Amino acid sequence: MLVDFELIARAQQGDAAAFNEIVSVYRKRILGTITRLIARTEDVEDVAQEVFVRLYFSLDQLRTPKVFEPWLYRLTVNAAYDYLRKQRRRHEFRMSDLSEQQVMLADAAAGGKADQEEQQKKRIREAVDSMLGAVSEADRILLMLKEVEGLSLKELEKIYKVNENALKVRLFRARQRVLKAFDANVQGQAG
Amino acid sequence: MYPGDHGNHEEELDALFQAYRKACPDREPGVNFMPGVWQRIEAQQRNTFSFLRMERVFVTVAAAATLALGVYLYLPQNSSARAGAYQQNYLEALADANSVETPDIVGPLRLDLRRDSNQPGR
Repeated sequence: MLVDFELIARAQQGDAAAFNEIVSVYRKRILGTITRLIARTEDVEDVAQEVFVRLYFSLDQLRTPKVFEPWLYRLTVNAAYDYLRKQRRRHEFRMSDLSEQQVMLADAAAGGKADQEEQQKKRIREAVDSMLGAVSEADRILLMLKEVEGLSLKELEKIYKVNENALKVRLFRARQRVLKAFDANVQGQAG
Repeated sequence: MYPGDHGNHEEELDALFQAYRKACPDREPGVNFMPGVWQRIEAQQRNTFSFLRMERVFVTVAAAATLALGVYLYLPQNSSARAGAYQQNYLEALADANSVETPDIVGPLRLDLRRDSNQPGR
């Protein structure tokens, strides 16, 4: 835990300074997690703000400060999931607005500005995002939390409120689908 | 590690996930992050407050309308009842309505004999 129970209890009683302190402590981590979950840097702050607004209005429902971190992760996952669902609806419209040539020009301009290291990072992000396209948004988030965020099954159990075995099965299936996409990608590059 | 027939790609995938973690590190928020959070909180509180205020106004108006309707329905019945109940009792009211001087009830019976005798066959 990055904050003590007393601070959480104070925030639950409506202490704005305590709430500010909690946000200050967790905002960097939450921003990082959301960056990796939604893969759109321009909307990350917006989603993170939404997480903390939800936290503010739901703090009184938190029974014990002991489960604060899973609670915060749960809010983060829900906000990211809501964002991705909205994004999926907007995506087709956005892409249809631009011609193929415009999309290529925009990509080239962005690539020209970025240095080599940034381009490498961009390629990795795109590769992972592309592979994770093989699974549902819910499974994508679950895999991210496990494989990238490094959360344990116990922690995921608290976040999802699902038993460990069910999580294992879901993770296994999701990972198999991603591996299949990875294999296809590797074979595509080799061929 | 998960079982499966994907061989050494399991490890490559793990490495790719780790590379992804490094490619998207934790980041510092912008200067407007905290003010933005509070603006959203206050906006939501305002919305909730105005909704509650509207709800209160609606409840007050509904209560006033119910009261007014109740008074409207109660008052006419009350005044007519008062007029009948306190000025005379039931028998007096009945006697007033069916007075002994009323000719229709107690007057002499009149027979038109002339018309009866002119009838054929009599």
